[in-house]
Amino acid sequence: MFRLLVLMGFTFFFYHLHASGNLTKYINMKYAYLSFIAIFLLAILTAVQAYLFIKSPEKSGHHHDHDCGCGHDHEHDHEQNKPFYQRYLIYVVFLFPLVSGIFFPIATLDSSIVKTKGFSFKAMESGDHYSQTQYLRPDASLYYAQDSYDKQMKQLFNKYSSKKEISLTDDDFLKGMETIYNYPGEFLGRTIEFHGFAYKGNAINKNQLFVLRFGIIHCIADSGVYGMLVEFPKDMDIKDDEWIHIKGTLASEYYQPFKSTLPVVKVTDWNTIKKPDDPYVYRGF
Amino acid sequence: MTAQSSFLQLNSIFISILIEAIPFILIGVILSGIIQMFVSEEMIARIMPKNRFLAVLFGALAGVLFPACECGIIPITRRLLLKGVPLHAGVAFMLTAPIINPIVLFSTYIAFGNRWSVVFYRGGLALAVSLIIGVILSYQFKDNQLLKPDEPGHHHHHHGTLLQKLGGTLRHAIDEFFSVGKYLIIGAFIAAAMQTYVKTSTLLAIGQNDVSSSLVMMGLAFVLSLCSEVDAFIASSFSSTFSLGSLIAFLVFGAMVDIKNLLMMLAAFKKRFVFLLITYIVVIVLAGSLLVKG
Repeated sequence: MFRLLVLMGFTFFFYHLHASGNLTKYINMKYAYLSFIAIFLLAILTAVQAYLFIKSPEKSGHHHDHDCGCGHDHEHDHEQNKPFYQRYLIYVVFLFPLVSGIFFPIATLDSSIVKTKGFSFKAMESGDHYSQTQYLRPDASLYYAQDSYDKQMKQLFNKYSSKKEISLTDDDFLKGMETIYNYPGEFLGRTIEFHGFAYKGNAINKNQLFVLRFGIIHCIADSGVYGMLVEFPKDMDIKDDEWIHIKGTLASEYYQPFKSTLPVVKVTDWNTIKKPDDPYVYRGF
Repeated sequence: MTAQSSFLQLNSIFISILIEAIPFILIGVILSGIIQMFVSEEMIARIMPKNRFLAVLFGALAGVLFPACECGIIPITRRLLLKGVPLHAGVAFMLTAPIINPIVLFSTYIAFGNRWSVVFYRGGLALAVSLIIGVILSYQFKDNQLLKPDEPGHHHHHHGTLLQKLGGTLRHAIDEFFSVGKYLIIGAFIAAAMQTYVKTSTLLAIGQNDVSSSLVMMGLAFVLSLCSEVDAFIASSFSSTFSLGSLIAFLVFGAMVDIKNLLMMLAAFKKRFVFLLITYIVVIVLAGSLLVKG
């Protein structure tokens, strides 16, 4: 009975993730086919378990009487054979992710994760181990051969440099950021706008903060943060994790805490916004 | 940060690791069921070389044909050992399968900017580790080191119709799903807690010489518990701060041992054996990573 419930629960959970669209809050949709496979396999296992259960309800967990001619199943741990506290422990372990996955609100990664995971992206070439700029700058050069990367960068550069105003959307957030970090000098004075969540980090000036997005490779366990330093004309009181849309002029500036020169947006126009339905940006390659 | 919001973040990371791993676990348990029902001890005895070196080599190369991740491979290995595969061949198989397969090597190639050298180092070190450990184990242990000893009476699965056998396969798959699933769930939870609460930058600040940076990267691989098909992308993000050798250590060690598969190994094998195995892996991976220059 317990097994049937758990299998049904997991099948329902995976199905629910697809049906409700919540899957994108956990993984990059490029890999959605894997969870389709999971629904399919779980449904088969659930059907088999249901059949066993209907055939002999009490024994469906440990079918010593089954007819496949291989009555040697005793090697497995069966919940029913264990003392009750161990049995309950197993129930709790399997039911916990179902309950927490289906009923708990899905959290969005935020600045508290930036603080613990800040390490996860390529550091600046300076070789300074304490440089933290690593998480601001998307770097897909690792993903392409040098030639094709240069070519792609050139194309992106042409695309963005021909525009007077650059507006980054969810789809081109990572590409746009990368282009600007690669050709910082070329974009000085351009107008740029994008949105993200605020992260103050160890900024010294009250008018500076980072506007960031989490970028996802496969699932949110392997995500990293990308974005840009922004500077307001006057001291601000924006809290970490507040979502803001900013528009401003690109400049570059020596940023003491990172000990390096960073692109910075001098904000001319900004407003707080609601957290987007899909707070993450995804890497496609 | 309130305790509640950080718990919800932990929970979301936990669920996302499960969503990523469960498809592979399902494939693993079903393959294990198929081995149980369709592969007999006689077939294994026929194809498994008697010579220990050939058997280890055979196991390691068989891993190449199995696209599996480090958690899906454990039920399969356990089943093969129960079917009479010698321990040294089974472990060699278990260690190469998550690394030397087309999917993982391809993602490594992409992640490191299409550099074949990283792919060769990763594959080569994985193969070396599995061959050396296989040979050591073949001298050290005579039995299969599983917790539940092999039982007699396995000889009759080849009777019955195909349909009955398929039914049996799925029943075994369900049994296996429940016996490994709980370790996956607990392991994913611990890994998510580590990601949420442990400041990784403190780990990275520990020493920067060759030995310590390899050890740090191995520790990180263990803690992050990433699936072997994506870990290359994470490793590549460290490429300017860490030496190539320590990145290779991350890529090889992490695909062989991490939090979730450690719990699974402990459930399948004797404790002493698991710790011995991990010690061998640490020593050989560390030595290998120090040889990598570039």
